[in-house]
Amino acid sequence: MNFFHNIKSAMLRELRLMRQRPVYLLATIGVMAFCTVFFLTFLRDGMPEDLPVGVVDMDNSSLSRNITRQIDATQLGRTLKFESYRSAREALQTGEINAFCVFPDGMYEDVISGRQPTVTLYVNSLYFVGGALAYKDLLTMMNMASGGVQRELLRAKGMNDDAIMGQIQPIVIDAHQIGNVTTNYGVYLTNVLLPGILEMIVILVTVFALGSELKYGTSRHMLEKAGGSMSAAMIGKLIPYTVLFSVIGIICDMILYCWAGFPMAGSVWNMFIGTFVMVLSCQAVAFFIIGTLPILRLALSISALYSVLGFSLAGFTFPVEALPPYIQGLAAAFPLRHYYLMYVQEAIFGSGFGGWYPQIVYMLLFLFLPPLVYGRLKKAYRLRNFPRN
Amino acid sequence: MKYISQWISDWYDIFTREFRHIFSDSGVMVIFFLAGLAYPLLYGLIYRNGTVDDMPIAVVDDSSSAGSREFVRALDATREISVAFSCADMDEAERLLQQRKVKGIVMIPSDYEECLASGRQAHVSTYADMSSFLYYKNLTMGASQVMLSEMHDIQASRFSSAGYDGQQIRQLVQPLKYEENMPYNRNFSYSIFFLSAVLLIVVQQTMFYGVSMLTGTMREENRSFAVLPDRLKGHGISRTVLGRGAAYWLLYIAIGTYVAALVPRIFGLPQNCPFGEIFILLLFYVSACVVFSFTFSSLIRHRETVFVLFLFMSPICLFLTGFSWPAGSFPGFWKVFSYLFPSTFAVRAFINMNTAGASLAMAAPQVAALTIQIIVYYFLSCMSVFIENQLLKRRQKG
Repeated sequence: MNFFHNIKSAMLRELRLMRQRPVYLLATIGVMAFCTVFFLTFLRDGMPEDLPVGVVDMDNSSLSRNITRQIDATQLGRTLKFESYRSAREALQTGEINAFCVFPDGMYEDVISGRQPTVTLYVNSLYFVGGALAYKDLLTMMNMASGGVQRELLRAKGMNDDAIMGQIQPIVIDAHQIGNVTTNYGVYLTNVLLPGILEMIVILVTVFALGSELKYGTSRHMLEKAGGSMSAAMIGKLIPYTVLFSVIGIICDMILYCWAGFPMAGSVWNMFIGTFVMVLSCQAVAFFIIGTLPILRLALSISALYSVLGFSLAGFTFPVEALPPYIQGLAAAFPLRHYYLMYVQEAIFGSGFGGWYPQIVYMLLFLFLPPLVYGRLKKAYRLRNFPRN
Repeated sequence: MKYISQWISDWYDIFTREFRHIFSDSGVMVIFFLAGLAYPLLYGLIYRNGTVDDMPIAVVDDSSSAGSREFVRALDATREISVAFSCADMDEAERLLQQRKVKGIVMIPSDYEECLASGRQAHVSTYADMSSFLYYKNLTMGASQVMLSEMHDIQASRFSSAGYDGQQIRQLVQPLKYEENMPYNRNFSYSIFFLSAVLLIVVQQTMFYGVSMLTGTMREENRSFAVLPDRLKGHGISRTVLGRGAAYWLLYIAIGTYVAALVPRIFGLPQNCPFGEIFILLLFYVSACVVFSFTFSSLIRHRETVFVLFLFMSPICLFLTGFSWPAGSFPGFWKVFSYLFPSTFAVRAFINMNTAGASLAMAAPQVAALTIQIIVYYFLSCMSVFIENQLLKRRQKG
């Protein structure tokens, strides 16, 4: 009974601290709100539209003008005319356009007389999304143009339109995108970036809350409040944050899957579980960091380095299996990696508990970290034997 | 004359004092040196293999004809895709996809050969795992490459059976040829794409965090970042800002050179611009970062809060450079917001110069923007020193 009483008074003390220092609410609710608004508005189009594509038309024939018009007609592209290869190349180098094509002089006549002229496509693939899309757009247009020429020839021979389609495009690819039907870039990134930001917040704020007691020399007061019990003090101190982080994370899930309509093959309730477990495992990591290095500023610097790396090693941008082998193992040391794998199972494949329970287990394994440094942190709190600054 | 020598000696005092602060603070050392020096290396290691090659996919070949088998063989031969499983039905393939043993499915319907024989269009279905866009890109690129080459073979054999000769067939099948050229990043390598952008972000972010930590420390120790030489009675703002700035500037010219010139060399990234021009870009960028950090760090009250409050800006600054989502498609508000950060312009200039081989003259718009930032932020950091002093004075009186 006494134990619960101690937890309660430690909790009340923490809630008072949270009210007194605005940094706690700013760093949690404020940061998360900003990032949610940022990613939902920044990537709201899902797919870039009207990407500038350069055209150097030395032919200036009905054929080259027709291809240009076709590129303009696609949702993806918008053509910009350049007088020379040189000026187009400069625009490509400065990122003004992501791709351009050169129609050679006499192209149309060469086509008519069967001399197979060559159109050259230049792509700046340094800008991934823009470059890849502009490239795809140009390739489609070139194949359509070839098909168009063939169509005219076959029509002249008296073939009907159905047969012509069977001839100029004998194979059609029906592409299906599982879990993101519209290939929405915003859905793809936001689904993992926001939990990544949450991971960052949980680790930093937890380290900050635990480390501040050392820095401001209030750790003995904290232990006193909890009746001298370290475990009551820690439980009482961390529970308000666990609740706060989980509520923020769950609201964020609700915004994504219920309000913004992000695809969800499984159940949003399972995502709540995943978010909650990720919060727990991140808190455990934070406890481990401050326990190992009970100096607030060092612990925060290390936490910052660690949580930023989480984005890269989660593997949602560049897949983990394509990383060098010695880095692949490292990825498992980040709760975000396991959250991402769980999200893939639930939101993309809808495979339910059977598909993702290993990830939950891995995240729960992080809870074995705090006991390793528990004694060390307790000593630091009691003896204050580390430099404060 | 006396004024100038006094100015220089004050400036020098402030400059050396700031250096002492930097090197006597372990937290700042971790950020400047561990993060500034080790992060670029770490990213280089992580993204060492720039591409995902031979991504495993499952094939469901309901047609099992000569033509479909040829299609599957060609898929397996692409750089992007390797056919890891042949499945009897879609259920089996979907199960493999869900177990993440394959990242995509290609399904060839039972009427594939029949359609081709009768001159109708045959449909091949692809199913991409959208958990990473690179999976999607590999499947799409591999499949459409195979589709095009199969198409040309089919057309050629039809024309040939209709009695055309080789030359005529080539003209009919491909009346218009094309040639692809991706001069700056031939294989769509992720490491070239990502590192080119992230390297300079590291410079700005580590500097901002380090400067803010020191500002916070001074505040906590009841000193102020804005202390002016006492006998000047409130004058001498410029020597304070320039003196402190020179310390960071010098340090970061060194770190910046390492990040922008040495790290790309270590990892064999393209370096298509003479070092001199990159260095001139760095001079502008580092100067802008210093005054940018001074301006915004003046809002920091405590040394540790900068991470807690502003670490999330690192990924956001990265997106604001337009390296992934194209800058031309930014919503208006965020476009203006991105102008606040030196990284927005410097990263674009760096990508264009270092990797695409643009000259410094072609980066003139970005350099001009950095110059404007230097002027505006210099003015603002002087302002913050002035205001801070006014507040201090009032507090002393009060």
